[in-house]
Amino acid sequence: MPTPILEVRGLSRMFGHVQALDNADFDISAGEVVALIGDNGAGKSTLVKALSGNLATDSGQILFDGNPIELTSPAQASKLGIETVHQDLALAPHLDPVQNMYLGREIMQDGLAGALGFMKTKVMREKSRVAFDELGATVKSLTSPVGSMSGGQRQAVAIARAISWADRVVFLDEPTAALGVRQTANVLETIRRVGDKGVAVVFISHSMPHVMEVADRVQVMRLGTRVATVKASETSMEELVGLMTGANTKGGAA
Amino acid sequence: MKWNNRIVRTMAIAAAGGLVLTGCGAEEEPTGGEPGTDASSEVEIAFIPGVIGDEFYITMECGIQEAAEAAGATVNVQGPRQFDPTLQKPIIDSVVASQPDILLVAPTDVTAMQAPLEAAAEAGTKVVLVDTTVEDPSFAVSRIASDNIGGGAAAFEAIKEQNPKGGQVLVVGLTPGISTTDARTEGFAKAAEADSDFEYLGVEYSDNDPAQAAQIVTAALQANPDIVGIFAVNLFAAEGTATGVRQAGASEDVTVVGFDAGPAQVQQLEEGIVQALIAQEPRTIGQLGVEQGLAALNDETVKEEIQTGFTIITQENLDGEEGDAAYQSSC
Amino acid sequence: MSDSEMPGEDRVRVAEPAENPDIPERHQSRVGSLLRAQAFQILLVLIVIVIIFSALAPDTFGTLSNTRLIVQNASILAVLGVGMTFVIITAGIDLSIGSVLVFSGAVAALVMREIGGEGWGTATIGIIVSILSGMAWGIINGVLIAKAKVPPLIVTLGTLGMALGFALILTGGIDIREAPSVLVGVVGYGNIIGGIPVLSVIALVVIIIGIIVLRFTKFGRYTYAIGSSEDAARRVGVKVDRHLIQVYALTGALAGLAGILSLAQFSTTAIGGQSQTNLNVIAAVVIGGTSLFGGIGTIFGTVVGLFIPAVLQNGFVIIGVQPFWQQVAVGAVLIGAVYVDQTRRAATQRGGKSNSLGRKLVGGNRSQGKN
Repeated sequence: MPTPILEVRGLSRMFGHVQALDNADFDISAGEVVALIGDNGAGKSTLVKALSGNLATDSGQILFDGNPIELTSPAQASKLGIETVHQDLALAPHLDPVQNMYLGREIMQDGLAGALGFMKTKVMREKSRVAFDELGATVKSLTSPVGSMSGGQRQAVAIARAISWADRVVFLDEPTAALGVRQTANVLETIRRVGDKGVAVVFISHSMPHVMEVADRVQVMRLGTRVATVKASETSMEELVGLMTGANTKGGAA
Repeated sequence: MKWNNRIVRTMAIAAAGGLVLTGCGAEEEPTGGEPGTDASSEVEIAFIPGVIGDEFYITMECGIQEAAEAAGATVNVQGPRQFDPTLQKPIIDSVVASQPDILLVAPTDVTAMQAPLEAAAEAGTKVVLVDTTVEDPSFAVSRIASDNIGGGAAAFEAIKEQNPKGGQVLVVGLTPGISTTDARTEGFAKAAEADSDFEYLGVEYSDNDPAQAAQIVTAALQANPDIVGIFAVNLFAAEGTATGVRQAGASEDVTVVGFDAGPAQVQQLEEGIVQALIAQEPRTIGQLGVEQGLAALNDETVKEEIQTGFTIITQENLDGEEGDAAYQSSC
Repeated sequence: MSDSEMPGEDRVRVAEPAENPDIPERHQSRVGSLLRAQAFQILLVLIVIVIIFSALAPDTFGTLSNTRLIVQNASILAVLGVGMTFVIITAGIDLSIGSVLVFSGAVAALVMREIGGEGWGTATIGIIVSILSGMAWGIINGVLIAKAKVPPLIVTLGTLGMALGFALILTGGIDIREAPSVLVGVVGYGNIIGGIPVLSVIALVVIIIGIIVLRFTKFGRYTYAIGSSEDAARRVGVKVDRHLIQVYALTGALAGLAGILSLAQFSTTAIGGQSQTNLNVIAAVVIGGTSLFGGIGTIFGTVVGLFIPAVLQNGFVIIGVQPFWQQVAVGAVLIGAVYVDQTRRAATQRGGKSNSLGRKLVGGNRSQGKN
C-alpha cells in the first residue's frame, strides 16, 4: 500500500475546557477523495485547521509523505502543496477574482520592473480564466469585486484558487453548503476530477447523498476523535449516521 | 444608476447650500457708507486677528468697526480657529487675493508670516501690524502695539505691592516666538531679576491653552511652595493660572496677576482669585490701525510705530474709570 | 453546462443575499474604474464649488494668482495625504502626522544649524535627516500596530504626543528660525516655468509616484487586500505584519518630507503649528472616497478631497463669510462623503463580516493570531 500523503496520529487540542481534538487520527493517499463527516462539535473543522497550518496542536504527530512535520503556518502548508477552502472562503471582498486567485502568489514582471513591484496582470487574468473554465465556474466578470458576487460565484473563486495551487492535498470545508443544485453538481464533479488528477481531496460535508456520490472513503469523527474509516462502497447512509451519533460502534478506527 | 442620482442630488444640495451660506455670511459685513455710495469707491478693510473668539481681538474688532463706520469703510474679519501660523497662512493668502485696501493683521509668528505679509504689501494693500509683529516690519505702513515690556514690569510691581517681603515668582507664558508675550515676559523678568528680594523661577509655556496653564501651575506650586506671585501673560494663560491656583488651594498665598481683562478674568478679579489685571487698550489699537491705514491710503503722514498704554485694574478700582478698560465679548 | 447559470437558481436559496440591483454587473468594469467613478464624482462637486465662487467673485477668486496660492497651500497637505491614503486603505489611521512633521522639521533644523552653511550641501543633509526622522516614527507606529497589536488609533494618539514632546525637548520649546537660504529660496518660494511653485511640483511628483505604487504594484495590491480582509490576506501567506510596518513607515517618511517642506515655506520650525493637520488630512482622504473601513480608496480622490475644504475656505474668506460658517460647510461635506461611502460599501461588501465603525476604529480588524 502506498504511503499516505498525510497521516495523522493521536492529534489533540484543547480550547479552554473543551477538548476539541482528542487523540484523533486521519489519513489520506494520493488521488483519494475522502469525506470527513461528523456531528456538530465532532472536531472536523478543528482537524482541518490544524492540517492547513492555521492551528497549533497540543500533542500528536503529523506525517507528510511518511515524514513527521510541524505545520506552523498556512504559507508553509501551501509550500507543501496543501491548500484549504475554509467555510468563510478567506477572500478579500474588494479585490476581483483574479487578484484573489493570485493573492500572495502574484506573477511579477521580469527584471527591474518586477523588483519594483510590477505584475504581469494580463497573464494572471488569462490563467485565471482558464482555471475558472476548467472548474466549470461561471464567474461573470473577472474585474468586479468579489464581494459584489453571489455566494456561488464566490465559492467557485475560492475553490478554483485552492485547486489551482494545490499539488498534493485540498481541504474543502462544507463546499456545497450555500450552493444551488447546478452549482453543487459542478463542485462535486470538480472534486472527482481533482482526485483523478492525483491530488488528494478531503471534504467536510453534512450531506450524506453528496458524500455517497463522490467520496472514495469516509472518515467519521465523534467527540474529537476518529471513530470509523470505511470505504464508501461498503457502507450505507444509515450506517454513517449511526456512526456519527454513536448509535453504531462498528469499528474501522486504525 | 440609482447610486449616481444620489451623488447628483448631493451635489445640487451642496451647490444650493453654498449659495445660501454665502448669502448668510455675506450679510455679516456692516456697511458704513451712506446709501447710494458707489460700492467700488468704498474702502475695504480686512482684519485678521491671531485667533477667532478671543475677547482681546474682539474688543479690537469693535474699535475697528467703529472707526470704519465713521469713515464709510467695510470690514471683513477672518481668522484661524487656533493661534497657529499654519492655520493663519492660508487665510492671509485668501484675504490678500480678495484685494482689500487696508489689512489689519496680528501675525501668529514673527518669521512664518513675514513672506505672506510682504506679498500683501507688494500687491498694493496697506498693511498695519496690530498687537504682534514680524521680524522685519518695514513693509508695513504702521505697527501698533501695547508697550508690552512696560506692561510686564508693571505686573511685577503689582506682585511686589502685595508681597513686600519678596519670594519666588513665576511666569506662565504662551508659546515662545510671539513678540508680544515674549516682551511681557522680558519686562517682568528684568524687573524681577533687578530686585534682590525676589527669585525669578523662569517661564513655563502653556500653548495658549487654559487647561495646560492650570496643570503647569498646580505642578509648579507642588514643586515650589514658596511661590508668592504668578504672572500670566495673556487671557487664556490667566484663566488657566487662576484655575490652577484655586485647585491647589493656594488662593490665599499666591498673588496672581493676569495680562488682559476678558469677562472671565474680570469675574475672577471680582471673586478675588486674581489680584490684578494689566489691561491693554485693544479698542484703541483697532481705531488707530484704521486711522493709520486710511492715512496711508490717502497719502497723508503715517506714524510708523505707536505704542499704546495699559491700565492696572484691581478689585478696588473696578467700578471706576479703570474698569472701562475691560474687554468686550461682542461689540 | 458551465456557460449560463439560470438567474432563478439564486433566488431559490434562502441563505443567499440577492445581487444588488444598484450595481448590475454589466455596468461594473474593473475595480479601478469603480473607484475612479467615485473620485470623479467628488471632482464634480469640486468643480461646482469653483464655478459658484468664480461667479460670485470673478476678479478675486477666479484669478490665476489666487489659484496658485490655493495650490501652494495645499501642497504640503497633499504629501501627507498620499501616506494617509495608504494607511486608511488598510483600515488603519495615523493621528501622529502633524507631530511627526514638526519633529522632523525641528531635528533637520537643528542639524542644519549645527553644520552651518546656506548651500545645497547642508540643505540636502537636512532633507535626508528629516525624512529619516519621520520614517523612524512611522516604524515605531507600524511595529506597535502590527506586532504588539495595539489599535492604530491608540498608537498614533500616543506617538502624536511623544513626537511633539520630543520636538519640544530637543529645541527647548523655542522655534528655530534659520534654514539654509537655498532651501527657503528655491523649495519654499521658488517657481519653475510659468510660475508653478516648486513646492507644488514636489507634491505632484509624490502624488504621481503614490498613484503608480498604489494602483500598479504588488505593494499597492497588498495594501488593498489587507484593508479588505486582513484575515484572508494572512491565510494566503501575505506577510501582513511586515506590510503594515512598511505602510506606516512610508507615511512617517512622507511626514518627514512634509516637515522639511514646511521649514522651507515658513522659515521656522513652527512647533506650535500643525494643530489641525492630522484631522484635516484624514477629512481630505475620506471626502475623496477612501473608506475608513478599508479596502477602497484612491490618491486622486484624496487630492480632490484636499482641495474641497481649501477652496471652500479660500472662497468664503474672499467673499467675506464669517469664519464659523466655513467650518459648518466643511463639516457638512465630510458627512456627505461618509454617507456616500456607506452606501457604496453596502453594495460592494456583502457577505463580508459586519464591521461596526466603533470596532473598526478602536479594534481595527486585527486578527488575534491563529485560532
